[in-house]
Amino acid sequence: MKNSILVIISLAIFTMNLSAQKIKVTALKIEDSPIVSFRIQFRVGSINEPKGKEGLNLLTAKLIAEGGYGEVTYKEMLQKLYPIAGKIRVTADKEVTTFIADIHKDNLEKFWNIFEQVLTNPRMDENDFVRLKDLQMNYIKNTLRRENDENLGKAYLQTMIYEDHPYGWIEAGKISSLKAITLNDVKNFYKQFYTQANLTVGLAGNLSNEFIAKVKRDLSKLPKGKPNTVKLPKPKKIENIEVTLIEKKTPSTAISFGYPIEITRSNKDYYALMVANSYLGEHRTFNGILMNKMRGDRGLNYGDYSYIENFIQDGGSTFPIPNIPRRQQYFSVWIRPVVNANRHFSLRMAIREIENLIKNGIPEKDFQETKQFLLNYSKLWVQTQSRRLGYLMDSEFYGTGYFIDEIAKRLPSLTKKEVDDAIKKYLNYQNIKVVMVTEGANEFASDLISNKVSPITYQHSNISQHILDEDRYIQKYPLKINEKKLKIVKAEEVFE
Amino acid sequence: MNKLKMLILFLTITGLQMNLYSQKFFPYEIKEHSLLNGLKVIVVPYNSPGVVAYYTVVRTGSRNEVEPGKTGFAHFFEHMMFRGTEKYSDVEYNRILKLLGADSNAWTSNDQTVYHIVASADALETIIDIESDRFKNLKYSKEQFQTEAGAILGEYNKSAMNPFQILNEEMQKLAFTTHTYRHTTIGFLEDIKDMPNQYEYSLQFFDRYYRPEYCTIIVVGDVNFNKVIYLIEKYYGDWKKGAFTPNIPVEPEQKEERIKDAKAPYKTLPYLYIGYKVPAFDSKSKEIAALNVISELLFSETSELYQKLVLDEKLVDFISGEMPMDRDPSLFRIFARIKKDEDIEKVKLEIFNAIDKLKNETVSPKKLNDVLSNMKYSFLHSLDNPDAIASTLAYYVSVTGYPQSLDEFYSTLNSLTPDDIQNTAKKIFVKEKRNIVTLTSGGN
Repeated sequence: MKNSILVIISLAIFTMNLSAQKIKVTALKIEDSPIVSFRIQFRVGSINEPKGKEGLNLLTAKLIAEGGYGEVTYKEMLQKLYPIAGKIRVTADKEVTTFIADIHKDNLEKFWNIFEQVLTNPRMDENDFVRLKDLQMNYIKNTLRRENDENLGKAYLQTMIYEDHPYGWIEAGKISSLKAITLNDVKNFYKQFYTQANLTVGLAGNLSNEFIAKVKRDLSKLPKGKPNTVKLPKPKKIENIEVTLIEKKTPSTAISFGYPIEITRSNKDYYALMVANSYLGEHRTFNGILMNKMRGDRGLNYGDYSYIENFIQDGGSTFPIPNIPRRQQYFSVWIRPVVNANRHFSLRMAIREIENLIKNGIPEKDFQETKQFLLNYSKLWVQTQSRRLGYLMDSEFYGTGYFIDEIAKRLPSLTKKEVDDAIKKYLNYQNIKVVMVTEGANEFASDLISNKVSPITYQHSNISQHILDEDRYIQKYPLKINEKKLKIVKAEEVFE
Repeated sequence: MNKLKMLILFLTITGLQMNLYSQKFFPYEIKEHSLLNGLKVIVVPYNSPGVVAYYTVVRTGSRNEVEPGKTGFAHFFEHMMFRGTEKYSDVEYNRILKLLGADSNAWTSNDQTVYHIVASADALETIIDIESDRFKNLKYSKEQFQTEAGAILGEYNKSAMNPFQILNEEMQKLAFTTHTYRHTTIGFLEDIKDMPNQYEYSLQFFDRYYRPEYCTIIVVGDVNFNKVIYLIEKYYGDWKKGAFTPNIPVEPEQKEERIKDAKAPYKTLPYLYIGYKVPAFDSKSKEIAALNVISELLFSETSELYQKLVLDEKLVDFISGEMPMDRDPSLFRIFARIKKDEDIEKVKLEIFNAIDKLKNETVSPKKLNDVLSNMKYSFLHSLDNPDAIASTLAYYVSVTGYPQSLDEFYSTLNSLTPDDIQNTAKKIFVKEKRNIVTLTSGGN
């Protein structure tokens, strides 16, 4: 396949960092684009929240984006934005918070005049504060705890992996901390962290130099501030398999497990591990062995994937959203809900596949094919200018070249040995944290501790012999569960 | 699957102002071709260096599941289509896509099943080869079929706690007594559990619907029209036409309000779902166009109702109103998540009051203009890559059968007057055509 997509994109990228104005601008000029894309990013996230005020950054970000500005109420702001289909979205992660918008060139001036006010002079009205805080609490109480077991498990896993660590709570916070947050807390947090020193302006489209200069000028109304630095300790060591069962009435069990890894996109081993991970469990494809063996061969569930960094799917696509970069990352496996009768078998099977990969390495043929896949597939991650801009900004966060270029540069020369070495160095099946959202947790806990044999239940009897043969090994595959750390929590009480 | 997001996407693409777009709404040239066997081809050359989106639209969805006990088969087939042929086994098919680095998937809804691939434009012939092969020659074993049934159950289970799955199931059973819209796209749970026993029926399903006359190929991106047509003729030319026409039962006219109080299997904030019977999508119908505008007038963030219920009185977390794009008469859908059980009735009344106001007062030309402007720019913001363009056309083609329906619909929207809005509101939003489902706590 040609690399033409990549070449064109790369030529158009440039970054300006004029120290005199202390505002960093990442601009992606695309002359024939009718749309201008914004990604206005602040180096602030949940790691900056004081203890007892978890959720403060997300609430602040939401109140900026959805709370009006100056004398203009949120209602009035919506009326102004509506005819031009102006929408300001925000993503707030552990380390960065990004305000995202696309606007047609017809309406650029009108939109920017509102957007810059939203960022530099947010209204922060009590009425909007109450509404947004309520929404954030209902997200935890209803959406997460009750309506989506998979997201509940994935969110809880991160709190387990980063116990007693600045990454150790979800961005939405906790019910008790949200209750404790006042409007003054939000205003002070905004003043302290939403500053020029923490700002990166991302712009893409048919940009004039005058417009870029205006953006910089307008955003220089933000307080200068100081660069934000929070030291990150090493995550706690994991001893054997530490399991938390989240008890709730459910016909199926959502499974997530993982552990911290020492590398990010900044490290050259990342690219070797990327190949290994794609072979193990590329997100929403039939490339991974987890997907092929668990869903494809056995029909256990809808999907089985693995990740070497925090991954949030972008809408209905198969690609991750950009602009959630982190200095520390984790490895995780997402086993989509399996019927409760197969939960023990599925956990055993997924962990055993990782052990097999560590012991056997990646087969030569799969190594070559996976490299080729990633070289081509990665170019599709940046089909829109807004996503290109996001990836470019993330590359700057990690201190690397443009990520898609890095993949194109590094993968061709990567060897199977480098991938196998990365697998041995960074993957493990013995010291991991597991979350399962399930029913009858007490009985299941006993089964886990006693390593009770757990045969798979099929919906039919027409199964190939080689699969049945392997099942006999899987059903008794020993899991070294850390009995002391095995915990059962009620869904209604998590993130309280 | 029929996702809310897709519906929202549809809502954003359904309008614009004539005074800004004089002739055509869709900003790209559409080229068409038909094969003798009935297969239609749509090509949109687009400046996306090196990238092509390749869609196969099958005009078969859960609407076509007419036999009792066989609900969910259109969606099941979406899964089975990845199970290979004699020429390219499932492993080989996937291997080819993997080497291309393609983004490949499919979705099913009421009226359609859509298969999509985004990949290098250089790979066009390979894509046409493997896609034509599986549409003509799909072959799977009973074991593969039965195993895939497990994945379907897993797909159902992954959303078992999702209130919208429960609400949709309850609403469709309530609002439709006869038509196949009575079941959701994934099907009734009892039918999903029985799927492993329906191998023979699956072969019949394929024989009926995976035929050229049911399909349209949409190609968008860095391609040459003549080359695309040459390749499609080469690979699909020998695909045999079928002879099956489903007898979709007609839903009798609803004559009185229907109400269902459903319980979630868990504690929940209450949900409210109100569905008004509406006619089938027709790109030339002023009524349909007006209903799309009404969804904005009543439920957008700038509507009086949204501002009252969400921003001022804070009775609900969210509220939305959506006009679907369905081949047969369906429902205008209103959803709200209410913060307290005791406010359900109040919220319901506020919605009815807002509807009554629309019936009794003429909307201002400025407000109508704002809605059309919003629709236009929302649409333009979304058309920024070949995949999005192909996906948009896929909706129109799967419901109407032809891509020009998009421009037709635009013209109709543009011709609307405030009186059309008022008359449509009076005709459609009547009590006897109304269905209400509430979902409240049923467990701990």
